[in-house]
Amino acid sequence: MDVLWLGVLALLLIGYFALEGFDIGLGMLLPVLGRTQRDRDTIVSAMAPFVLANEVWLVAVAGVLFGAFPEVEGRVLYGLYPLVVTLLISWILRDAGLWFRRRLDGAGWRAAWDWAVCAGSYGLALSWGMILASIAQGLPESPSPLAGIACVAVVAGAFAFHGWTFASWALPGRVTGRSRRGGALLVSACAAALPAAVPLAALAPWLLEHAAPEGTLGVLSLIIAPLTPVMAGAQVWTWRTFGPKRAAGRLPSFF
Amino acid sequence: MGVLDLARTQFAVTGSIHFLFVVLTLGLAPIIAIMHTRHAVTGRPEHERATRFWGQIYVTNYALGIFTGLVMEFQFGLSWSGLSEYAGDVFGAPLAIETLGAFFIESTFLGLWIFGWNRLNRWAHLACIWMVTLTAYVSAFWIMAANSFLQNPVGAVERGGRLVLTDFGALLSNPALVNSLPHVVGAGLWAAGSVVMGASAYQLFRRTPEREFFTSALRTGLLVAFCGSLVTVAFGYAQFGSIGLYQPDKFRVPLAGVALAAMMGIGQLVQFLLLLLAPLTYWLPRWRWAQPLLVILTPAPFLAAICGWLAREVGRQPWLINGRLTVADAMSHGLTPGMVTVSLVGFTGVLGLLAVTDYLLIAGTVRRGPGTVALGAEDEPTPAVLEHALSH
Repeated sequence: MDVLWLGVLALLLIGYFALEGFDIGLGMLLPVLGRTQRDRDTIVSAMAPFVLANEVWLVAVAGVLFGAFPEVEGRVLYGLYPLVVTLLISWILRDAGLWFRRRLDGAGWRAAWDWAVCAGSYGLALSWGMILASIAQGLPESPSPLAGIACVAVVAGAFAFHGWTFASWALPGRVTGRSRRGGALLVSACAAALPAAVPLAALAPWLLEHAAPEGTLGVLSLIIAPLTPVMAGAQVWTWRTFGPKRAAGRLPSFF
Repeated sequence: MGVLDLARTQFAVTGSIHFLFVVLTLGLAPIIAIMHTRHAVTGRPEHERATRFWGQIYVTNYALGIFTGLVMEFQFGLSWSGLSEYAGDVFGAPLAIETLGAFFIESTFLGLWIFGWNRLNRWAHLACIWMVTLTAYVSAFWIMAANSFLQNPVGAVERGGRLVLTDFGALLSNPALVNSLPHVVGAGLWAAGSVVMGASAYQLFRRTPEREFFTSALRTGLLVAFCGSLVTVAFGYAQFGSIGLYQPDKFRVPLAGVALAAMMGIGQLVQFLLLLLAPLTYWLPRWRWAQPLLVILTPAPFLAAICGWLAREVGRQPWLINGRLTVADAMSHGLTPGMVTVSLVGFTGVLGLLAVTDYLLIAGTVRRGPGTVALGAEDEPTPAVLEHALSH
């Protein structure tokens, strides 16, 4: 049972990086790929229908940590206190930019929130790089700054590559000037997920030692298992509905 | 202020902002879903306009529920890691089920509903808002189950210095849960009815051109608020019996007693006014003198809701898990005032500013009326289509 829930945790964290990675990457690239306001609107409207379905994977990671690995939850989140606070504030800033940018007319309003999306996305990439570096070193009091910088560069680069590939897939030939097929998007998703998969694999034995007792895991499994088709179905439906053939990049979009 | 008080303040502030927005989300969801159902069944444009207008208010409000909810979820691990160390095997289960079995589904379907206008088949699109509504209530159930465990820790025993889950059923039939859940659900409907009523009264007072639209909405809002108040008050009183059993001294804690009195005072007064107004529902939209009164009443259920939470949470002090774990023992070991101060300023500053912005945006949506709603707007014609149209 503990192995099963470790698998769930891994799937959710890797899924978060593979999916939310392109939203973060596109947020970082927003001023580069979107020179005009209309280009930025097109980019945001291409990623917008996926954001709610993507970011929720991290909410689920935190939930599974609490339910299935409670000792780990406290130790990891508290051990990474300043980084988790930075991550949360960046995440909120990015989301606020998306939710608010079209709620008022006026070029200044929208441009300001576009900067919030961009700054929040950089903040997310930065926090993730530092968090993964710290986890890979076993949560030391003062992690090596060199490893942190290297990890930030890898994570930010992977997210940006994934975002660029998503834009080339969803808006072929428009903002990046290139077209990419679904296969390329799958490759960039793997690239975005890899930085999370490596520390996770290193941590697996420690996580298994600190899983919740069988009784708790049994209750969790009993309630969640029947719901997995709905969870997966809604995700698949999102991709089928908002892929490039059906909906991507249409204006105006709610975000 | 010591580090413990700082950490408690942080949780109280983010929790209060969270609940201000979530209580409206919870109450508005079924109202929007019913409006959307009428639109889908009849196909009449006035129902589509109502769904989109109140739907935009609903999703604008939803944003802050997410932002604050993220901080709430991670704050357990940041500031209160003693809670997961001692009781995570029990308390973590309802929270994990909430994130996976409710919020994960809710968030995905909300995205499909918001961006699915003019894309999805009529019935598929309608199913999305009903899924969002259903999972919102499932979510409320699990969160209340988790909170009720803190009030009255049933279904668990201590083994080796940690709590172990022994009876999951007891967690779900907790006396602290069975009456408080309908109390919160009623409060949500009351708050949502109040917003619909107040917004409509404001528009009618300004002699809106959308007279018919807001006349019908004012009646709906008033009746929902009144029904919500009946449920809220009934299940409020119903809680006293069981609270007397597991937390007999709850309201002797000064702040909890004051908060309880404030909640009951506001609740009783507003319910009495709604009781007087409900039989006049049909005529009320025409009575200009009544409209400012209805606008002034709008925030009352929100104030009462915050007071209710203060009473429930503060009355448990000094315990985090009643009789088992104190708040002081639950705080993360080694947390310093500096750490909490920085994050407290960051979280409350950012969330406070965003909350004010969000309320101004909702007010702006109300003021502009149903004519200029972004939610569900048609696509702009692409350049090729424009050219084609011009050449004819």
